[in-house]
Amino acid sequence: MRGAALAALACALSLPAAAAPPAAVDLFTRADKGHCIACHQVPAGAGPATRSDLGPRLEGARMRELGRARLRELIVDPTRLNPDTVMPPYGRHHILDAGEIDRLVEYLNALP
Amino acid sequence: MRCPRRLGALVAALACALAPAAGAADPAGAKAAVEARLRAQLPGLARSDYVLGAAAFDPEIRAREDANADAAREVVERGAALWKRRFKDGRSLAACFPNGGRRVAAAYPQYHTGSRRVFTLEMAINQCLKTHHEPLLDYDDPRTMGAVTAYVRSLAAGQAIGVRVPKAAEALFDQGQRLYFTRMGQRNFACASCHVQGAGKRYADVPLSPAIGQAARWPFIRDGDALTLQAQVRACLERMGAAPFPAGSEELNDLEYFLTYLSNGLPVKANAWRPK
Repeated sequence: MRGAALAALACALSLPAAAAPPAAVDLFTRADKGHCIACHQVPAGAGPATRSDLGPRLEGARMRELGRARLRELIVDPTRLNPDTVMPPYGRHHILDAGEIDRLVEYLNALP
Repeated sequence: MRCPRRLGALVAALACALAPAAGAADPAGAKAAVEARLRAQLPGLARSDYVLGAAAFDPEIRAREDANADAAREVVERGAALWKRRFKDGRSLAACFPNGGRRVAAAYPQYHTGSRRVFTLEMAINQCLKTHHEPLLDYDDPRTMGAVTAYVRSLAAGQAIGVRVPKAAEALFDQGQRLYFTRMGQRNFACASCHVQGAGKRYADVPLSPAIGQAARWPFIRDGDALTLQAQVRACLERMGAAPFPAGSEELNDLEYFLTYLSNGLPVKANAWRPK
């Protein structure tokens, strides 16, 4: 029994650790992920400072007013709500997967 | 494109007005519509400042451009050497163009009636090389083709851009206009998303140049190389998550035709410095 546990532990230690998923703020900033920072400003301390303004400034109060479901809908395909928006359809075009969109929703919902 | 039913949806209506209708090429009308849209969006921007591109919205960028004005010298000299180089038959690129190439760049791209295609400055350069049995330059090579265009366009500095669109070329103009307004790639951007709809706003902290004026400024000098207009469009397409059309392709030639026509009347102001 103890031998089997030790073998399992040894096995676990020898396996490479699965790559940690990108943190929510990375999804917001990385050019190969959401790259939301290219268009949106966030309150000080919540992300890098930028003067980018192609999209509106994102404030926590407004995010919470929209609610998680609508935020998710917006990120998956904003053109369904506004055909003229320049915001990418992150879900529809598979830029972010479902788990990444969920983490981004939580990040936006928690903005100051 | 879906057009709004309500009169109040001004922005969407403008976007619809700017979108080309199939088979209804109207170069003057298309230019007037983009001008009207940009004037309404950027009321503080003088017409003469459109040639400044992003620098028109950011004094810091303008100051850095001025401070690096000499960055183009080495590139232009390299282009001049290629331009004056004697071919095996004793001719040169300079001999292929009127006045040795002075004041010719402002009239490109042109419609070529023989081939019924848009002819860019780069194509005219390679046509000359082909005629004289010389190796062609790579359209996407900043060290050779980029440098030659930097020199030829420096010979047209201050000349008003004057691209003509004859009746026979309207379908090609229309194709270029359609491409400019078509959303492409994983990010679902059109060129117009940033340079018409978003002109003057900042993307990745940098102001977005308006569509009008973009064709007056190329090539840019970055890290000692000259980047043609098509090289810049290709870089934009990559950022949009789209596979870029090849440099010298009909798609990019038509796009350049449309974009340059939008800058008609503005002076050529080539070889501005750009950061890495």
